[in-house]
Amino acid sequence: MITRCTTGEMMIAALARTIADGDLVFHGFGSPLVQLALHVAKRTRAPHMVLVAGATYGVDPTPPFLAPTSNDWVMDRGADCWLDIEELFDLAAAGRMGRMFLSGLQIDRWGNCNVTGLGRGAMTMKLPGGGGGANLSCDARRVTLWTAAHRAPPDASGRRRFRLVEACDFITNLGHRGADGTPRARYGHIGGGPDWLITELGVFDFDAEGHMRLTARYADVSVQEIVDNTGLPLRMADTIDIVAPPDRRTVEFIRALDPLNVHARELRAEDASRSFDLADATERERA
Amino acid sequence: MTAAPIHTRDDKRVSLDALAEMVPDNAVVAVGGGLSSREPMALIRALLRRGVKGLTVVGSAHGVDIDLLCAGGAVSRCAESYVGFEQDFGLAPNYRRALESGAVEMQDNCCYTLVQQLRAAIQGLPFLPIRSLRGTSFPTLHPEYKRMICPFTGEELLLVPALAPDVALIHVQCGDARGNLAIQGPPVADILFAKASRLVLATVERIVPSATLREMRGAHVPYFYVAALAEAPLGAHPTACYPFYTYDRAHLALYHDAARQGPQAFAARYLDVFVTGAPRHADYLARIGGDATRARLASWRDGDEAWRNLYREAAPA
Repeated sequence: MITRCTTGEMMIAALARTIADGDLVFHGFGSPLVQLALHVAKRTRAPHMVLVAGATYGVDPTPPFLAPTSNDWVMDRGADCWLDIEELFDLAAAGRMGRMFLSGLQIDRWGNCNVTGLGRGAMTMKLPGGGGGANLSCDARRVTLWTAAHRAPPDASGRRRFRLVEACDFITNLGHRGADGTPRARYGHIGGGPDWLITELGVFDFDAEGHMRLTARYADVSVQEIVDNTGLPLRMADTIDIVAPPDRRTVEFIRALDPLNVHARELRAEDASRSFDLADATERERA
Repeated sequence: MTAAPIHTRDDKRVSLDALAEMVPDNAVVAVGGGLSSREPMALIRALLRRGVKGLTVVGSAHGVDIDLLCAGGAVSRCAESYVGFEQDFGLAPNYRRALESGAVEMQDNCCYTLVQQLRAAIQGLPFLPIRSLRGTSFPTLHPEYKRMICPFTGEELLLVPALAPDVALIHVQCGDARGNLAIQGPPVADILFAKASRLVLATVERIVPSATLREMRGAHVPYFYVAALAEAPLGAHPTACYPFYTYDRAHLALYHDAARQGPQAFAARYLDVFVTGAPRHADYLARIGGDATRARLASWRDGDEAWRNLYREAAPA
């Protein structure tokens, strides 16, 4: 019997908890942790969510397994119908998209993301590009941010490239403040911006000022370790909780849907191999 | 604005090379398909063999198509919204090098902005507004975007100019001799591209009788948008074109490994073998393993286990 889960499975459960029943929710491409979180949410806490698959735009698909590329027929098997690219973005622009999931190679204190390029002025590294994130970060009513690469170990020359930074070199996806510091509210966007950030080290929300704030850590990570791996001064919630693990059925579901373990490719090997007691195990100890 | 053309010839079938000859240097080119599916790869290889230069590429989420065009020196500006291999192989090496070196100018776009720009062209309008994007850094890459105060509501909007690509390159499953095109599965932005572009060039897995297309409930791209088409079986390889074939993971692994090792290794191990080294599409098909490869990539139909196994394949030794 399964008694423990991986970091990826913990993250999937945490991402799924940000989805409300009845929301229209979309995931982009290159995001297997999020793809799995949407399917978990649909089968547990949010049976009435409208799940729109990234790239195929299939509505409520039931894929037989997760493929390592999103625009693949395997990902939209069982869909009720398909949206056009323009329809999906129109839904968001008109305020019908309840939640979107976004990430970046840099995520700053206001929840802005950079998926475009590193370096200011001269580009030192071209990133893959943001897809539709720039539009959806403004139009989706709420946004969950995630990264599985919060940990920033030094490279061969001892330099650390932080994922969580004070300011992004380029703002691909808008958080709570624009490039010149303009508060988001002044733009009059339909969406309210990011309200959660899930990483492999902790869970963050955004305070009244729109600044990211640590609210929970995983059981095997200390607050100091999170501080050390973060490239900005951290704000902390009054109490730092322990991220709740999923139950056994959820983990069984994830493993059945992702037999190729595509989602583990989002994590560093050292993080993919961490493990946690399941919620059921914790409950048994309490009883 | 000059009037957009329509194309009414009864028989638009040409050779793949003739199709490639119709793409002028320095054209703005919309490439169809997306990520690892239904990209017009045979046509792209033919373009590289003819030595096309100075293209501006526009599109949504792409992979090996744009990476290969960058490696072949065909691109001068890139206005895609994503170029990569997702979790399977990660960043696109040739694309990255071309943009970091400055050989290709970065004009990254985003999906809805592109949609609205294409829709403006389709409707014969000079621009369309969007509410999103303001506050991001994209306007620094696109000084042509303008802001306006809406005369009805008083809110600030961003105006994005019409985009009518010079050429759309599209690969679909079926078409007829007149150029009607039927797309199975997600159309991505292909229908928008076809309607917004001045010259639509298509490759198809199969040219079928018009009656067959009507039985398939008609064309997604009506013939009068399409200037010319060529039959190119496995024409999207190494990307997928269901229901005929999945993407060729082993070939993409070989591609990515060669690209990762630098321009010289990529030229020797890939371009010289699969592009310039295969002067006709038939040579390419022979080089990738011909009927055996076709059968292997069609084995997804044998059930979920067979389908899964196609994603476990590693690069050939």
